[in-house]
Amino acid sequence: MKILIIEDEVELAESIRGYLEGERYQCDIATSFEEAYDKIGIVYYDCILLDIMLPDGNGLKLLEELAEERKNEGVIIISAKDSLEDKIRGLHIGADDYLAKPFHLSELSARVHSVIRRKQFDNTNKIQVNELTVNLLSKSVQVNNNSVTLTKTEYDLLIFLIGNKNRVISKAAVAEHLSGEMANMMDNYDFIYSHIKNLKRKLTEAGAADYIKTIYGTGYKWES
Amino acid sequence: MNRLLNRTLIYYTLCATVILALSSPFFYFMMDRLYEDDVDEAIVLRKKEFLAQSVHELSVDDIAAWNRFNRDIRILPDTIKSKPKDVIVDEEFYDAMTPEWEPYRVLYTDVKIAGNPYVLMIRLNLVESEDLIVALTWLYFTVVFLLLIVIFFVTRITSNRLWRPFYDTIEKINQFNIEQHQALEFAPTRISEFKQLNHQLDRLIKGNLKAYRDQKEFTENAAHELQTPLAVFQSKLDMLLQDPAVNKNQAEILHSLYLAASRLSRVNKNLLLLAKIENKQFTIMEPVAIGNIIKEVLPYFEEQSLSRNLLIDTQIKSEISLNACKPLVEIMISNLILNAISHNKINGSIRIEAAADYLRISNTSEQDSLVSQDLFKRFTKFSKSTSNSGLGLSIVQQICHLHDWDIQYDYIAGNHQFTVLF
Repeated sequence: MKILIIEDEVELAESIRGYLEGERYQCDIATSFEEAYDKIGIVYYDCILLDIMLPDGNGLKLLEELAEERKNEGVIIISAKDSLEDKIRGLHIGADDYLAKPFHLSELSARVHSVIRRKQFDNTNKIQVNELTVNLLSKSVQVNNNSVTLTKTEYDLLIFLIGNKNRVISKAAVAEHLSGEMANMMDNYDFIYSHIKNLKRKLTEAGAADYIKTIYGTGYKWES
Repeated sequence: MNRLLNRTLIYYTLCATVILALSSPFFYFMMDRLYEDDVDEAIVLRKKEFLAQSVHELSVDDIAAWNRFNRDIRILPDTIKSKPKDVIVDEEFYDAMTPEWEPYRVLYTDVKIAGNPYVLMIRLNLVESEDLIVALTWLYFTVVFLLLIVIFFVTRITSNRLWRPFYDTIEKINQFNIEQHQALEFAPTRISEFKQLNHQLDRLIKGNLKAYRDQKEFTENAAHELQTPLAVFQSKLDMLLQDPAVNKNQAEILHSLYLAASRLSRVNKNLLLLAKIENKQFTIMEPVAIGNIIKEVLPYFEEQSLSRNLLIDTQIKSEISLNACKPLVEIMISNLILNAISHNKINGSIRIEAAADYLRISNTSEQDSLVSQDLFKRFTKFSKSTSNSGLGLSIVQQICHLHDWDIQYDYIAGNHQFTVLF
């Protein structure tokens, strides 16, 4: 899987690359409009992360180019300008998702995961992790063909964890992912604990291995 | 009473009264003197007339008849020695007609009639001083009264005409609202003081507007500029967290850093949101069902309210639809609920009530009544909770402002209560 990171802030681009490469994606970085334009012309990327505020041009232009050439890349806009118009315009032109800075790398990774999955035609509806099967269409989970009943929050949590396989996800990222930006106004992460606990219990009771690890009360990790 | 017009009138009245009161004795003496001089002149004239014309034609026998018909010019025998001669003096005579003693100016002078010596007495009645005083007082009162009436109308007219630009300016300043970013257009005036006033006000207002704009732009730019470094910071934390060598202590430090980062980004996002509301970047108005929004928003707070074991009682009295900006209404309701949760106590309760003309969210708390004038100010914090960005209520207020709604805070029976009046 190839991912192009179009971001003029090198440090941020490097972090994104570091994180995503840990998930076995191949990453290229473009720090300017020109560079990005050239790279898109040569290489096919499964997913493009696009900062729309580039020093030498508006990223939305790039998006228009892609749309014109009918390329099938998944595009996630990352923007410092959390503006509704940009978001609507970007999604309208053909972006698949929009993420406002600052974001958690785990959130980005989950989104990349989901975009790529949607773009693939072979096995879009299922995620298979050993004995665990997640049906994305029916939103159902099975362990060794036994159904596991999860609440919506637990299901979201599971998808989020699997989307960041073998990476540590901070509690802050989990909280933001679960309760949405709107409700994430408090530093009260206590509620995550009970959800994690329930999810773990339900999965292990159904016969799955204990994949969810707690990292010193700071974060969680799906190990498989 | 403190209006300029009334003040002017009071000062004019006082001044007029004092000046007229002080000047009245002087005026009285002057009148008296002038009148006396006049009378004296008349006496001298009569004496001349008498000496020039009458004296030659009179005989000794005519004297009795003369005296009978002339009350004020009389020929007396020259036996009167006690009277000073050829000087006009004051003297009182009894007037049988009135009847009272009347003041006179009198001149005695020696004349010869047909060779015999006589004394000629010429007298003229002076109006009594008492009468003069009464007359003057009346005159004064009339003058004062007329003067005040004139002053009143003149002041009215001048204040209404001369001061019109001034009142116009005041009216405009009253209606001035810095958030509307609109400099004032003062009515043109030819009066230099008003010109100067308007000019200086204009300068001040433009300066203020500029400062306000600059400050807003600064906040906005600063918040924007902070987003990227914040993103870098947060992404580096995420990377650090991946390091298998991170031990427990370091993980705790990382956790604190995460908390700080999320607070920072929250404040930043709220500042940007405030700037956007103030810049009127939310203009799309649509029918918004408040009840539905409450129902949509509440699940997001389930986790938070569960962790405090809060009882949320929602009462939507009628299905209300308002013409409003939907994203902002969502933010407003979220902020109010969030506020009610974060300042609540364990096992407390929240009551959400929506009716056709108001939305009320009240919550229990361990805190007493809050000072309501500072409540909506930015960065006003009422609890030690560090998670509070101090901007939530400012945002609520701005959103109300934008929709022309009123927001009220009350503390009733231990409940903090926020009411939005549509």
